[in-house]
Amino acid sequence: MQQGVLKFRAFVEMRMSDTKPTQDWQKDWQALQKQYWSAWQDATRNATGAPDAATPWHEGLEQWSRLFANSGKQNETADRLLGSAKAYVALMQSMLAASAGKDAGAGVQTAWTQAMRDGLNVPGMDALFANNPIAAMLQGLRGPGVQGFGELPQAFAPFLAQAKREGMSWLNAPAFGYAREHQERMQKAASAFVEFQDAVGRYNALMLKSSQRSFAIFEDKLTQRAEPGRQIDSLRGLYDLWVDAAEEAYAEIALSDEFRTVYGDVVNAQMRVRAHVQAEVERLGAELGMPTRSELNSVHKRLHGLRRKDSEARIAGLESELATLRGEVAALKKAAPRAVVPHKLPKPSAKTAKRKR
Amino acid sequence: MGPIRIEPQKALDEAQRFNSKLAAGLSSLRALDEVDYGATAKEEIYREDKLVLYRFKGAGKSTSKTPLLIAYALVNRPYMVDLQDDRSLVKNLLAMGEDVYLIDWGYPDPSDRYLTLDDYINGYIDRCVDAVAKRCKVDKINLLGICQGGAFSLCYAATHREKIRNLITMVTPVDFHTKDNMLSHWTRGMDVDLFVDTLGNVPADLMNWCYLTLKPVRLFQQKYIGLVDILDDKIELENFLRMEKWIFDSPDQAGEAFRQFIKDFYQANKLVNGGLKIGDKDVSLKNVTMPILNIFAEQDHLVPPSASRPLKQLAGTKDYTELAFKGGHIGIYVSGRAQREVPGAIHDWLAAR
Repeated sequence: MQQGVLKFRAFVEMRMSDTKPTQDWQKDWQALQKQYWSAWQDATRNATGAPDAATPWHEGLEQWSRLFANSGKQNETADRLLGSAKAYVALMQSMLAASAGKDAGAGVQTAWTQAMRDGLNVPGMDALFANNPIAAMLQGLRGPGVQGFGELPQAFAPFLAQAKREGMSWLNAPAFGYAREHQERMQKAASAFVEFQDAVGRYNALMLKSSQRSFAIFEDKLTQRAEPGRQIDSLRGLYDLWVDAAEEAYAEIALSDEFRTVYGDVVNAQMRVRAHVQAEVERLGAELGMPTRSELNSVHKRLHGLRRKDSEARIAGLESELATLRGEVAALKKAAPRAVVPHKLPKPSAKTAKRKR
Repeated sequence: MGPIRIEPQKALDEAQRFNSKLAAGLSSLRALDEVDYGATAKEEIYREDKLVLYRFKGAGKSTSKTPLLIAYALVNRPYMVDLQDDRSLVKNLLAMGEDVYLIDWGYPDPSDRYLTLDDYINGYIDRCVDAVAKRCKVDKINLLGICQGGAFSLCYAATHREKIRNLITMVTPVDFHTKDNMLSHWTRGMDVDLFVDTLGNVPADLMNWCYLTLKPVRLFQQKYIGLVDILDDKIELENFLRMEKWIFDSPDQAGEAFRQFIKDFYQANKLVNGGLKIGDKDVSLKNVTMPILNIFAEQDHLVPPSASRPLKQLAGTKDYTELAFKGGHIGIYVSGRAQREVPGAIHDWLAAR
């Protein structure tokens, strides 16, 4: 089997080069699939049963990810699809390895739960998120259109690098001298970032708690499926059951008072960091003679105020005019001797009526 | 007997099918063009700032005497009510003889940061109501508020009773403090002043991230694994992509309106607790005295039914009807069941009044 894996890797390296046209990629992929799955077919036919869990199922998908990286149309959907597929393929690999040679004996739920746990540790994922699939998923919620808490350190990397260069030791030291104001601002910004990191740490700890809880719920759900007619007979069925468990576990945590506090802390701390960074950028912009966000806000606020005043004045003017007109109409009605009886118009002749139509 | 009966060969076949479908489907995904949306012809009848008021043009003449104005939420685009030919609340309502109008709020930019709820409700909505009433030569119109637009419509109906004949609320939050309201739960630890002062307008990306994290595994992973099943079906794939487009085609939120909405509705729950003021007008649901049809979705994770149902007790109307739809927050517009049940229910209810 190990030899098969090496052959597979060599095949990937040899066939999947980024310079090939799409049609060739397609052919390569199909050939790769064939060879890849033949290896697995062979493996399952072996007397030893269980396939080698080290075979890198996700590698072909990595190539596809690279291929689609610059595809333009539907790129984002393809990206999300591949991201999810990679995780699912890794999960299937773990499940498939688990399925070979498993019987229905005692402890089977625990064994499948462990296989699920292992499978959710996608190859190449950040070690920080090992055994914490829910946090890993939230970390993965990014890209155009979606950004999460974890993006902040990356976005503010230049600023943080500066803070680091200047040393974190002065965080609480009294500021003085010519650069006093600058130092105090940097101290506050650095403190805000430390608070933010601390809040994100507490948030991830809650996600770990929900991940762990998801496996416990998963095992319970598995136990409930032991009765005939409710058993799971597909990898997808097993995965869907885990998703139900994960969402249940996440909802338990997300609706807790502790989560509300931690969530608020993360959002508020992130805003404080952003505000500090924005202030620094604004200061720099002003020094370079650029218009700033504050200036624009001020203009927008005044403009909005003026429009409201104008609209109110217009409405007040119209109301006043209306009141005057109503008064005049009432006065005219009062002054008029009696209602004038309208003249009865003669009935049009049949000929005239026809012409009008 | 154990809970799992997965045979290795069967599992391998399943995994192989998945990979083959994925490989073939990625090419068809690559070949697809941008999806279009909107099924029904419409004409612009009023415009102000970024807002446009549309009238939909049905195939036949409308038989309804009172026009129906749809006020959608600010947080998503309103074309969800007319997504595609076979998934269109608007098209079905037109076919039943309703005269349908829609407010498109547009995409606020930083110059709209200081728009308040007063601007939206007593300003934009009021002027749209006037424009529709004037065009149709009526004193009162029917108002259909959706989600956040439903909350706005309740405020508007409470303070402009003389202009609304019948009120329909769809997936509308009223009680924001029910135990199962995750979104509301999260906002209560937020310093919304700091939030808006820092961000100005609230970016759509941030809002989307927040919505996805309500059900992260289902919405970020399971949904895309399910997509593999339909990769070889062009029509289904286009439907999926159209929905994806709608989900992520979100406007930024005007900062001041967002601040007030979070504070007064999500945090202080003033529709229930009282004390809500929009501009210089006090809002009390007791003043919503016109007939109300309240439609909510039983599996709604954004606006749970428990958040909508209290309208019955809080509204001042004696003519209150409730419709519990078997589906979710999105399915209520686009599912097959929704096409069969929702437009007919709205039309019949209006026709009886």
